[in-house]
Formats: sequence, C-alpha cells, structure tokens
Amino acid sequence: MEPPSTTPISPAAPAAGRKVLCIEDEHFISELYTRALTKGGYEVETIADGKEALDAAQTDQYDIILLDLMIPTVSGIEILRVLRDPARVPPIRAKIVVTTNLEQREDVRADIEKQADGYLVKAELTPHELVDFLNTIK
Amino acid sequence: MDYLHNLIRQTKLRIFIVVLIDNGVLIGGWWLGNKILGLNGLELLVLLIALAGIETTLIATSLGNYLTQPLKAVWQAVLHLSPTEQGTAAPNFESLHLGRDLVANLTSRIYQLVSTADQAKQELHRHANDLHENFIAQNLPLPLILMDATETVRYANDAAARYTGIAANDMVGKNVYMVMDMSFPSEATFDSWLKSVKTKTATAVSSWERVRLNVRDNHPARLFDLAAYYNRDNPEHNETMMVMFDHTKEYSQDDQAISFIALSVHELRTPLTLLRGYIEVFEDEIGQTITDPELKSFMLKMRAQAEQLTDFVNNILNVARVDDDQLELKLQSEDWSSTLKSSIEMISLRAKVRDITLKCSISRDLPPVGIDKLSIREVINNIIDNAIKYSGTSKTIKIDTYVNQEGLVETTFQDFGLGIPTSILPNLFTKFYRDHRNRAQIGGTGLGLYLSKAIIAAHGGSLWVRSKEGEGSTFGFTLMPYAQLAEKVKQNGDQEITRGAHGWIKNHSLYRR
Repeated sequence: MEPPSTTPISPAAPAAGRKVLCIEDEHFISELYTRALTKGGYEVETIADGKEALDAAQTDQYDIILLDLMIPTVSGIEILRVLRDPARVPPIRAKIVVTTNLEQREDVRADIEKQADGYLVKAELTPHELVDFLNTIK
Repeated sequence: MDYLHNLIRQTKLRIFIVVLIDNGVLIGGWWLGNKILGLNGLELLVLLIALAGIETTLIATSLGNYLTQPLKAVWQAVLHLSPTEQGTAAPNFESLHLGRDLVANLTSRIYQLVSTADQAKQELHRHANDLHENFIAQNLPLPLILMDATETVRYANDAAARYTGIAANDMVGKNVYMVMDMSFPSEATFDSWLKSVKTKTATAVSSWERVRLNVRDNHPARLFDLAAYYNRDNPEHNETMMVMFDHTKEYSQDDQAISFIALSVHELRTPLTLLRGYIEVFEDEIGQTITDPELKSFMLKMRAQAEQLTDFVNNILNVARVDDDQLELKLQSEDWSSTLKSSIEMISLRAKVRDITLKCSISRDLPPVGIDKLSIREVINNIIDNAIKYSGTSKTIKIDTYVNQEGLVETTFQDFGLGIPTSILPNLFTKFYRDHRNRAQIGGTGLGLYLSKAIIAAHGGSLWVRSKEGEGSTFGFTLMPYAQLAEKVKQNGDQEITRGAHGWIKNHSLYRR
C-alpha cells in the first residue's frame, strides 16, 4: 500500500489556479500549507491576524478560505459568523474550511460544521492530505 | 408606706387588747379564787397556772390565725397567678380584717408585674415570629420556595421572586413546575427524586449541580446548584423546600472556557502537525534519493512515531470524553471489509517498521455494520498497537473477521508474543492499568483498552481477550450488523442512531469527522 503522502500531486485539474486565503497564525504551519498548496496548483495568500483576515475575506476574491480558530484580534468563530451571516448580500462565494487543532465541545463543533464547508483537525492530516481534501471541494 | 403603718398600728392595738383581756382574766381569776372560793395559796397557784395555760393556747391560736391573714392572702394571689397551680381562687379582700389595704395594694402590684411580664413575653414571641418569617426567610439572600404535597408553591421569598422574575404572589398557589422551568444535566432530576422519596421515606435531602432555569422574556437562563429538603410530616404542610445557589456567572464561564485537556491537546497537536508536515516534505523531496537502507527505515520510523503520537493525543481526548459522558458516536452503515482493510493500511507502517506482518483474513458475505468509522479505527489502532508492543520476537499478527454464532460481526487480533498472566486479565480494561511488565520495558498509557472497551460498548458490541503466557494473546470484538442495530434503535424510539459511551443518547445528530 502506498501511503497518501508519497502520492505525487498533479497540479492539473481540480486546483487550476484557485485562490486560497490561509488564515493561520502559526507561521510554520502556513509555510508548509503554502508550499503544498502551491505545488498542488493553488494560489495562496496567508494572513495571521484575525481582523486583517476578515477584511481580506470580505473582498470576496478567494475560492477557498482556510480558517484557523485560535487567532489574534478576531477569533475564527467570529470570522465564520460574519462571513456566513445569512443577512449578507451577496453571500461570500468562498468555501470555508475550518482548520484547527482545538477540540470543541460537540455542540460548538456541530454549530461550526453547519456554517463551514469542511472541518479539519490539522494534526490528523499532512499538507498533501489537505490538498487532496481541497481538491474534493467544488 | 401608710398601708404598712396601718397594719402595724392595727396589730399593736389587737395585741394590746388581747394582753389587756388576758391580764383582766388572770386578776379576775385570782380574785374569784381568793375572795369567793377561799382557796389556799397552793390551790390558788394551780388555778392561775391552769388559766394562764388555757389562755396562752387560745391567744396563740387566734392571734396566729389573725396576724397571718394578710400573708395568706398574698400567697393565695401568687398561687392564683402561677400557671402550675391552676384552680386556685383569687383572694377575697372583703373577708380580711387586718392589713386589707396593704394586701389589696400588694396583690394588685403583683398582678400588674405578672401581666407586664406576660406582655413582654408575647412581644418577644411576636418578634421571634417576625424574625423567623420575615427576617430569615424573607431576607435570605438565597431563593427559597416551599411547596406542599401536591407540589403547589406555598411560599416564595423575595430572592426567589427576583431570581425567577415572577412576583411571590404569582408563584403561590401554582404548581412548582409551571413556575420553575428547570432542566438538569442528567436524568437524575428534582422531580424524579421527589417522586421516588415520596414513596419511600418521611424525610430526605438531595442536591443537584448545574441546574438550568429558563426565565421568562428571553432573559438569559440562570445556572445554579439546587438543594431540596423533603419532610412528609411538616406541621405547616410545607412538605418540600427548595433552595437555589446561583452560579450563573461561573458556570457560563466554564461553558466557554477551554478545558485543560483541550488546551493541552491543542498545544501537543501544533508541533505534531509540523512534524508530520516536515516528514512528508522530506519523504517527497529526498526520499527517493536516500539509498542507505538504515536511513530509509529511520524516515519511515519517524513517520510511524508521529502517527502513533497523533493517535495517543486522540486517546487522551476521547478518554476524557468517555469519563465526562461526552463521547457521542454517529453509527452509520459501513462495509466492514473495506473499513477494516483501510484501517489496517493506516496503521501498517507501525507494524512494518518493526518488521511485523499483519495477516488479514476476511470472510465473504459480511453484512454491513453500524459503526462510527473514526472511533472504530481508534479501537483497531489501539488493539494492533498493543499487539505490536507485546509481540516480543514474534513477527506476525493475525487478523480474522467473520459472522459469529450470534449473527454478530466478530473481528479477532492474534499475536504470538508474551501473553498475559491470568491474574492480570480481569484488570486489563481498567483505566491506567498496565501489564505486569515494567514501564521501562514496554511503553503505553493504560488508556487504549479502556477507551476501546467503552467505544465497542457504545456500539452495542463487546470486547474480549484470551491469552496464554508465552503463547500470545487474542483480542476480539463484536459489532452489530446495521439492520439489527436499526431494528433495536426503532424499538427504543430514538430518531437517530447516535450513542454515548454509557448508553443511548437521544436526539443528537452530531458526528465526528
């Protein structure tokens, strides 16, 4: 059996230059994700600060937003709430994938999952597996 | 003081008259004996002594009765007032010849004193009552509600009115459950307690933590600890008393706070994420170029260890969930053959780096099983990790899966290593219990089997072990075919197939990813 990490990434089809906003305050992690995502054919922008990230996300120029929950100034949960506010016209078109290592209470997590397009525990997947996951998100 | 002078004068006068009469009688006696009867000296002396004796007795008796009359009247008045001497009449002053004014005055003063004391006592009593009803209950800063045998509120203090947002008058006379919309963290609720104690005992006390009170008008719910006292024979018919201890602030903070375990897990996971990321980068970039077989194996071992650590962190988290009764599983219909194969694949690296072969034999025609895939994967990881740890020099782990005699899907994991002494077997699934071999020799947390047992139990299956020292161990677990599970769930009336580690959980649609 080939472990998933050694599967070569094809920059072809699914990514096709899709823009990713990586909201992540752990620089080493965003560095790794940027590397893997770029190799996978994505265009990546990284922001570590919550407020800045929220402003950027509202420009609605991204296809996918990777959202860490524990970030400074504005929390990930707050960003999610603002971006997924049902009253927002027009709605943000980006898919939002929550990437966190923080374990939530089940009800909080269910609430987050309802609003987001994906919920990933960072420690449980490698950068390649993240790319594989994003490739499945249409 | 005039009354006293009167009494002394009257007494003096009476004694004077009596003594005068007495002397008169003696002189008369002497005259009668001497002149009329012509008695001689000795006879006369005897006559006078006899007269004096009779007289003294008469005087003593009459004066004694007469002079003590006032004292008797006062004594009678005291007796009349005494609560222990009921039936004693009040003294009659009209019949008094001596010191009538003094006695009348004295007794009226005694009556006055006693009635003042009575009033003071009544006043004191009233104050005490006020203290009891108004001060203690009313001003008690804790919400307090009293109810009768029909659970109708009979009394609610000010604090209770403030706390519930309902005026005390609006509460009294209503059923307590109409007034207090409480929810409890478990099935051991106040009403179930009350119902059960009423059939069993005359008095009982109980308390509950983290009770939630839903308050009117969209105010935020109150969170409190509740204490209740039941006394069937309460003389005022206030059979049950409820006291609330508010903790809204602390408890709602707790709910938002990140637990110690969640925080620790978060801190462990960040470096793990990075380690796994870097390992992947190195495998990708230079993996192909490494030719030294030892370096190649180090690379794999590094990844295997990082994966094992990730699993361990999840074990900690899930044990905490099991202990808190927070582990919730969404059971879905899954193909067991492919689930088992992919789970084994995911852990195969750990076996591979120790040169252990996982031999898997899957019987055909397995029905789909009702499982929470992620949790079952954890069970498989824990059991295989265990088998690897205790394999010793043996290099094979055999995995078999089949439908057993009860129609359940059974999966067994057999190693040919050290085996487990019989004395250890019963404790194997206990938290923190480790094998008899010392820690230095073989690592581990003593959490894995405890967690696995809880997860399998939540699936409605069972986890078992057979072992022989020196020959190896076999761990096995059963899972329910999905159809059987769905049938059981239907009988239980649950809408969704979600289970907790300690039994069925109702109305949840949560699942772990």
